[in-house]
Amino acid sequence: MTPILETHQLTKRFGGLTAVNHVDLAVPERSICSVIGPNGAGKTTYFNCITGFYLPDEGEVLFCGESIKGMAPDKIAAKHIARTYQNIRLFAAMTAVENVLVGAHARLRSNAIGAVLHTPGTLREENNALKRALDLLDFVGLAAKSNEVARNLPYGDQRRLEIARALANEPLLLLLDEPTAGMNPNETVVLMHFIQRLRDELNLSILLIEHDMRVVMGISDQVTVLDYGTKIAEGTPEEVRNNPAVIEAYLGRPIEEVRQ
Amino acid sequence: MTRANVIDGLRNGALLGIVTIFLCLTGFVFVIAGVLNEAFARGDQASILGVLLALTLIGLWGGSRVPRRSGADGWLGVAIGGIFSGLVSGALVALFALIAGYNVDAGVNLRQYLIALSPDVVHALTLNLGTMSGALALFGLMLGANLIGSVFGLALSQRQIFKSAWDKWSQTRTALSELPALTSLRTHPAGRFVSYILLVLVIAFLPLVLNQAQNYTLGTIAIYVLLGLGLNIVVGLAGLLDLGYVAFYAVGAYTVALLTAPAPHHIMWNFWVVLPLGVLLAALAGVMLGVPVLRLRGDYLAIVTLGFGEIIRILAGSDALIDVVGGPMGITAIPQPQLFGISIGNVQFVYMLVISVALVIFVTSRLQHSRIGRAWVAIREDETVAAAMGISTLRYKLLAFGIGAAFAGLGGVLFAARNQFTNPQDHVLLVSINVLAVVIVGGMGSIPGVILGAFVLKGVPEILREFQDYRIILFGMLLVTMMILRPEGLWPSRRRKLEMHISAQEAAEELPLDPSIGGEVF
Repeated sequence: MTPILETHQLTKRFGGLTAVNHVDLAVPERSICSVIGPNGAGKTTYFNCITGFYLPDEGEVLFCGESIKGMAPDKIAAKHIARTYQNIRLFAAMTAVENVLVGAHARLRSNAIGAVLHTPGTLREENNALKRALDLLDFVGLAAKSNEVARNLPYGDQRRLEIARALANEPLLLLLDEPTAGMNPNETVVLMHFIQRLRDELNLSILLIEHDMRVVMGISDQVTVLDYGTKIAEGTPEEVRNNPAVIEAYLGRPIEEVRQ
Repeated sequence: MTRANVIDGLRNGALLGIVTIFLCLTGFVFVIAGVLNEAFARGDQASILGVLLALTLIGLWGGSRVPRRSGADGWLGVAIGGIFSGLVSGALVALFALIAGYNVDAGVNLRQYLIALSPDVVHALTLNLGTMSGALALFGLMLGANLIGSVFGLALSQRQIFKSAWDKWSQTRTALSELPALTSLRTHPAGRFVSYILLVLVIAFLPLVLNQAQNYTLGTIAIYVLLGLGLNIVVGLAGLLDLGYVAFYAVGAYTVALLTAPAPHHIMWNFWVVLPLGVLLAALAGVMLGVPVLRLRGDYLAIVTLGFGEIIRILAGSDALIDVVGGPMGITAIPQPQLFGISIGNVQFVYMLVISVALVIFVTSRLQHSRIGRAWVAIREDETVAAAMGISTLRYKLLAFGIGAAFAGLGGVLFAARNQFTNPQDHVLLVSINVLAVVIVGGMGSIPGVILGAFVLKGVPEILREFQDYRIILFGMLLVTMMILRPEGLWPSRRRKLEMHISAQEAAEELPLDPSIGGEVF
């Protein structure tokens, strides 16, 4: 079975700095894969290469076996790839339900003429989209807040709204950039279960950047470790946890070794 | 306590003195004087009564500002502040009058440097008393006006006359808006129908009641509504700052001028053929300009579009193209459009403009509440994320540019056909800026706001005609005041109202720092 997402030797340089250095990665279907690494390891840059915001300098990105390297971000989104952001990036002045409707943009077809004339097709599509958006808000537990402006929502709700917006794109692959950042331990546990539900109930494949090791070790099927843009380890959570290179990247080497 | 009052008074007086001198230098005091003269005495042009009243008013106003700072210190404190404010401002104004008076007496032509200071005006400033005694009189005038103004200001602020009146007014307003009859007019379908019918009737009869000049003004306002609604899509919804919007207006106007007028080409097509053609060409111009420039964001886009607008105007006015587009004199003798044998004059044009406005409102509101409108707002909010949602940002920005340009083209076509002439002066940068002001003052992204904005911005200068050349200054002051007091616009969109409401709330609650602060961008 082909993996849903593969990168081969993916490389991105900014001037002299190689932010992502020949990274190979394969995300199997219906799995949760995590990318971890110290700050500045190139995790978000890696995401941006996949979603088309950066053009990789070398290597290949395959989605369902098909190359998506060099495609515009909106074309990649149309292929059922959705993402969230490390620092929440909602459309702050729009209401919750409008945010989700924008998320569904790639799944809708109506054009300007249909919108002006209110053709039956457009009206039907709009009604269905609205119903689906409300269902999604319900799914993430924001049904009561559908008409609140995104900026006005509490932090945890904003995180969930961002996920609902991503889900509106009917993704096959969901990229989550530090979804638990800024959450308290309780909220984190709730979100962990939520991500598992996404895989089990919606059959999504999930690529996750995460700093919280309890989340990573708790829900990942596969963990990849980046350090200075290079992949230094890969495997199950157990394997990665005991890998000396990973420990070194995170904690440094023991002082005796350095002295030697 | 007293020391603070003295210092406050000195500060206030210095500011007031400088403001007064500035107003004298620009001649504005004498314009007010002229208006006051007309109101109170049918005297000569630069009569002393007007100057006296104008300076007294300025002094009273300046004095009334004193209690703002020292108001808590009671009558004595305010009086001390007022006296010192009067001393400083009086001295400054008297000094100014002395300098100006002696120079005029010595035969220096001050008008060479300051156009407003003619000998007549300077004599009026010194109240025709001669330089020295006039200056002394001014000093006394400012001192007295300041003292009275400050005490009066305190009395007003303590009685809270204004405050209670304002409270009463807002109470009445709320009560009125909650009247069952009005509520049902707004919400009930039949009520809405009735109010629409009423609106249509008013609009249908209005042009018949008004005279020629008023109809012309109404038509100009309608053209600005068209332009405003178009720019509202570009700036208000899609968030693209376009300062060259007038270019598309010019394309519409020149299309109708070149294709229907006898000179310079003698093509003489029918207006009704040219109308859609003009709109289409303007839209095309919008898209063609958009393709290269819409990759730019924010300020850069504003500069490039501004340049484009100027290029179109300069081309239209250039001598090189005089045979093609008529040059600086423009194109005259554009024939009046005919419909079923009736030629469309000033009054009929109002109807045509109203129908166009209705059509544009319909299209705009339908687009606004659709997938397309959502995409525009998403681009305005965060272009990068909008792209990640599958929105082809370039395509939607082009669409906004094209539709906005089409509306401007429609405005231009109707403008040129109504006036029966057009020249490059009709398409200067100021038009773009005025239209932008219509959108901002009315309320960005709000259709009723744009209509209200056009009425205010095109209507108020007509009211201010009394002030001649100074109406633009007054107008600017009004704009600045409005932006300070009501930044969301006169009739803000629902979204914007929510936003403003929230930011006020946020300020009150002092929310804790956003935990995501310090994260990587992207």
